[in-house]
Amino acid sequence: MSADFTITKGLNLPMLGAPGTNVRSLSAKGTISVFPSEFQKLKFKSLVEEGSKVTRGGKLARRKDLDGFFVCSPVSGTVKAVNLGERRSLKEIVIEPDGSDAAESFQSFTVDGVLRAKSENVLAVLLESGLLGLIHQRPFDRIANPADKPKSIFVNGMATAPFRPDAHVLAEGKADAVQLALNALTLFTDGPVHLCLSADAKEKKDALTEAANVQVNYFNGPHPAGNTSTHIHTLDPVIPGDVVWTLRVSDLILIGELLSTGTYPNRKRIMVAGEGLKEEARGYVDVDLGMSLADVLAETQEEGEQRIIRGDTLAGATANPADTGIFLYDQGFVALPEDKERHLMGWYTPALDQYSAHKVAPSNWLKDKLFSFGTNLRGGHRAMVLTGIYDPYVTLDILVDPLVRACLAGETEDAIAMGILESEPEDYALCTFVCPSKTDFGKIISDALDLIEQEGF
Amino acid sequence: MKDIKKLIEEKHDSVRSLFEKGGKFEKWYPLFEAQDTFALTPPDTTKGMTHVRDAVDLKRVMFTVVVALIPCLLWGMFNAGSMYYQHSGLETNLFATMFRGAWIVMPIVLVSYIAGGIWEVAFAVIRKHEINEGFLVTGLLFPLTLPPTIALWQVAVGISFGVVVGKEVFGGTGFNILNPALTARAYLFFAHAKDMTGEVWAAAKDGATGATPLGLGASFGGEGLNVTDALADRGFTFGSMLWGLEPGSIGETSAIAVLIGAAILIISGVGSWRIMAGGCAGLAAAGVLMNLLPAEVMFEGEMVKATTWTNIPFFYHFVMGSFLFGIVFMATDPVSAAATNTGKWIYGVLIGVVTVLVRVLNPGFPEGVMLAILFMNVMAPMIDYYVVQAHIKNRNANLRKFTYAKG
Repeated sequence: MSADFTITKGLNLPMLGAPGTNVRSLSAKGTISVFPSEFQKLKFKSLVEEGSKVTRGGKLARRKDLDGFFVCSPVSGTVKAVNLGERRSLKEIVIEPDGSDAAESFQSFTVDGVLRAKSENVLAVLLESGLLGLIHQRPFDRIANPADKPKSIFVNGMATAPFRPDAHVLAEGKADAVQLALNALTLFTDGPVHLCLSADAKEKKDALTEAANVQVNYFNGPHPAGNTSTHIHTLDPVIPGDVVWTLRVSDLILIGELLSTGTYPNRKRIMVAGEGLKEEARGYVDVDLGMSLADVLAETQEEGEQRIIRGDTLAGATANPADTGIFLYDQGFVALPEDKERHLMGWYTPALDQYSAHKVAPSNWLKDKLFSFGTNLRGGHRAMVLTGIYDPYVTLDILVDPLVRACLAGETEDAIAMGILESEPEDYALCTFVCPSKTDFGKIISDALDLIEQEGF
Repeated sequence: MKDIKKLIEEKHDSVRSLFEKGGKFEKWYPLFEAQDTFALTPPDTTKGMTHVRDAVDLKRVMFTVVVALIPCLLWGMFNAGSMYYQHSGLETNLFATMFRGAWIVMPIVLVSYIAGGIWEVAFAVIRKHEINEGFLVTGLLFPLTLPPTIALWQVAVGISFGVVVGKEVFGGTGFNILNPALTARAYLFFAHAKDMTGEVWAAAKDGATGATPLGLGASFGGEGLNVTDALADRGFTFGSMLWGLEPGSIGETSAIAVLIGAAILIISGVGSWRIMAGGCAGLAAAGVLMNLLPAEVMFEGEMVKATTWTNIPFFYHFVMGSFLFGIVFMATDPVSAAATNTGKWIYGVLIGVVTVLVRVLNPGFPEGVMLAILFMNVMAPMIDYYVVQAHIKNRNANLRKFTYAKG
């Protein structure tokens, strides 16, 4: 089964620094770090202390508000440190690997066998290993609650934002893991499991395009055609009260590996890209889970100050490679040059080397040119003045101006009626990008969503 | 260029600490910021989840509007100069006309910028926010809506009213309900009516007066002539009004100059083409509708003229008075216009309709576009409200369809 959809709204940023398809392999040099803090808004209690011995798959921490959800170790070794972050939250557990293969074993399934398994059994494995944390739930994009039954499940296999990894490269050689995980997902819902792929990949023959037991959908069009919200809105919109689960192909692979082998995964393939990296380094890397990000990026960066972004350039978080590592949830990093250069009369000069989505900038008239994007704000913060310019960048049948006004005024009921629950902050990233007043739409929307979640609806 | 940039950067950095928190001139930081970012783009980098930004900032947007106004300003100068020589009877040439026109017009523009600028800076300093580039537009738009004979003190009072009452009392740029430049003009229009209305336009020379086409039309008695002939009698044909060498407010007389500005705004995407198109459609439709009204009605047994100029061809409405100028530059002010794209159509159409209603059916005011825009400024939030409600209804219907279709 497959279906095609074309998205007309949106914008592809003509950004230099796209990843190649080369794959390198790296291994951890020193310690491995596990970050319970990667599951934002969740609280964990450490089950180990300095000097504790752990095996691969061994429990390191438990979630305070949900019994049976653990954070596990991807490697066997000795706990070297338990680091706390803000307000004594559990930030990081550092493990010195001992090189042994000792591993906990979880229940394993075969590709077909899982279809006949009980959903509770499969869910129990995901819960105990903590890989349930890879499955998110809409609205509010929080970690899936195993007590909920989603009306459908969406797997995102697209990469329209600059830059996200090509799911087909991630899934190379993982056909069984992918199919097993998809089969497992069908147990969790009475509705369909949607696998959303780029229309460009239609001719490919791989685990994703030939996936069975799920609905394969091909999306054509510019960013945000590859955002999960776009897929949900097109295929099965979230109406207040509905729950859908979402995950990405990179998550699918980890879940598939755990369920097929019964051992906790310890490697994953990530993308590194962006102009801040040397050209030959832009591509894919097979890395150890929890290895230091500084080691992954060692000797790959260009001269000068670079910003390392976890995620993509439109919706990502700044990461400091020295004190972070590879999270379970990571699928890529982008390096951008920190651009603090000041330009003489920059508001007046043509600035042909700076991309703009607005026709008022001469650079917009240059077609098919790739631009260098730094992290410069390209202007100053001002009151929001222009209206109606944001709608062409949001695919969700939402009027952006009234929604943002409602959010700023704290009118949560209005915001819900206008459709905020269908969206996530990342869906407004292009609005943030194009805004001449340099407004941060992501912050406005995420604050409003937090408020709605607190107040309930 | 590199050297100049370096020099400015060094000079600014050397005094920056004086203006920043704890510095001697901390209060005046908005003034320093305005000057600093005028000369050099800010070095700020992005925060939050979106790490790259578009090259366009508000300075470029506002500056584009200023550029779009320049044809009107230049024509306004030329027109003022040519009116001066026409009434004085002196020989002239292009250069002398332009020079005389600039001599008349530039003081008005300067006073507007200076008087308004002082308020703008004062509020920025008190409220501790950046000086908004929007004032570059307001400060130029306002003088272009004034007759060249206006007294300079009136310009200063008018723009002060516009900035303070039209904008700052609502909380500053982005929060105002009315267009500040038009508020300023409305203030002068009602407070100093005899210096503003179309009927007594003195051509920048004592004693000489000339009526604007609109003033003529409004006072037209219909003695045996139809209104177009009466206008032509006084030298106002469609063609001459299109070019706009005639009495009127500084920036609005030439439809051609306004259309050049409109082209710049539409091609650059800065001005809303929906509002402009809607306004023109509304004006044309209402103009045609007026033509259909009977010119005379039976009243107490006698045939009485219903209005003075219902039967003027609808396309005359475009070139007479300030309609084009208003719809292109004033109505498109995004802060006071409707915010939704559907709302912009409605807003534009209604401005066109109300303009004709005021012009043709209202005996008091010859020109209607200013009042039409101010009226629709007030109505814009209501238009948006209904557009949003309709959108929500439509949206919910679509979502429900989805649920039923799936069973």
